[in-house]
Amino acid sequence: MQESQSAAIHFAPAPVSNVTGVRVQPGPIRLAVIDTDTGFVRVLGKRVGEMGWQHRVLTAPPRPEDLLSMRLHALIVDLAMLGPSGWEFLEHVCDSVPGLGVIVCTGSSSVAQRVRGLRIGADDWITKPCHPQEVIARVEAVVRRRKRSAPGAAEDGPLLAGELEIRSDQFQAFVGGQSIDLTRREFELLHLLAKARGRVLERDEIYQHVWGYAMVHGDRSVDVFVRKVRQKIERFSPDWTYIHTHFGIGYRFEPEAPDDEPTEAPPEEVPSSA
Amino acid sequence: MSMLRSSSNGSSGLLVLFEESGRNVERTGSLLRELLDDFPEHSSLARDILICEQEGDRITHDIIHEMTINGSKLDQRDAYELARALDDVVDYAEETADSLELYGVEAPMEQAQELAAVLAGASEAVASALTHLRAGEDVSSELIEIHRLENEGDRISREAIASLFKSGTDPMVVIRWKDIFESLEQAIDSCETVAHVIEGMRLKRR
Repeated sequence: MQESQSAAIHFAPAPVSNVTGVRVQPGPIRLAVIDTDTGFVRVLGKRVGEMGWQHRVLTAPPRPEDLLSMRLHALIVDLAMLGPSGWEFLEHVCDSVPGLGVIVCTGSSSVAQRVRGLRIGADDWITKPCHPQEVIARVEAVVRRRKRSAPGAAEDGPLLAGELEIRSDQFQAFVGGQSIDLTRREFELLHLLAKARGRVLERDEIYQHVWGYAMVHGDRSVDVFVRKVRQKIERFSPDWTYIHTHFGIGYRFEPEAPDDEPTEAPPEEVPSSA
Repeated sequence: MSMLRSSSNGSSGLLVLFEESGRNVERTGSLLRELLDDFPEHSSLARDILICEQEGDRITHDIIHEMTINGSKLDQRDAYELARALDDVVDYAEETADSLELYGVEAPMEQAQELAAVLAGASEAVASALTHLRAGEDVSSELIEIHRLENEGDRISREAIASLFKSGTDPMVVIRWKDIFESLEQAIDSCETVAHVIEGMRLKRR
């Protein structure tokens, strides 16, 4: 179990993320708790630790980009602890980290306050005092719902684009049944771009999702990995162009055959045989 | 302006070795710039930089040997400082190249490329200054250029390090690149030390 009392902590990068920033691969739930109620966080921490979850206790509200880089599944927040700025924080987090399950766990509140919190974007509202087991069950329910509704949730089937077959179940891409030998990170990059087919993804956005952290200004990692992916695809599918550069912005995935107009169809999803 | 006339002060061998060291510094700076510009495409250049570092050690040894055996009309402390600063430029450049591999760097940072370009420029000016020094020619423009480039390197390095400490950055990126930025800056600083020593030698000869 990992536990800490800091507002700027990072988990190890998770293997796969979808375009909303929430992990889609099964694994231990990553939870952050913003609360200063030491009794509550200790008991909750003990229970989730026993369940193999990874959790962080934050004593100050982090910035949404920090939450994004922690690659959390869920966040429990005590609005009372945050004072008058709590609502603003809640709204900001729900808007900025749309893939994150947010559960408000706070003291007594009015119906109007609970309705306001849920309408702002909170997934659930728990009133203290509460049993840690109930909190855990609600977090699980929120994460379950999030996974079901996540855009990448139905991505088990191969993604077909041009001559390329991108298989998330094997973390690999194929041309004519032959593996193009992508590394894990190269696959994640290609998969992310292919899922957002036709849309320009900015470098910062790509880095955030593939590397799991905020991109430092001047970091050329995205460019280098796009180059590597292009080279590997080109070896097997030399006549097609898949990844297009938008100078000063980022990259767009759109398979184009030689002398062809860009295809309009979205990536074809086929049921996974795996 | 006439400076250190090798023919008249009996320091010819030493000045030839300094010139050779300057060429080695220039080559190292150029290789490091090439390595970072296209990293990781030409990672094998790190091996060439290591050879430069070994060559730098040999030249430094030869300089000290020359001073010990044949003596010199150059101030021995100045000569030693100059040899050490030239060796430092190459050592820090090699440390930078080595760190890229040691830390498993996968892609360059633009700021590192800019610093490597500054180092390559300063190294070129160092080599040119040492050639002019041996010929007894004016080195003012080279010294001014080195100081200008050092200031430029200092600015880039400060901004680069500050950018690492923005919230949400991968701690591994911070660890890797802080060290790399610092070794690049130290290499550039060593070029400035070379300029300072040459400046001191020039003043003593007036």
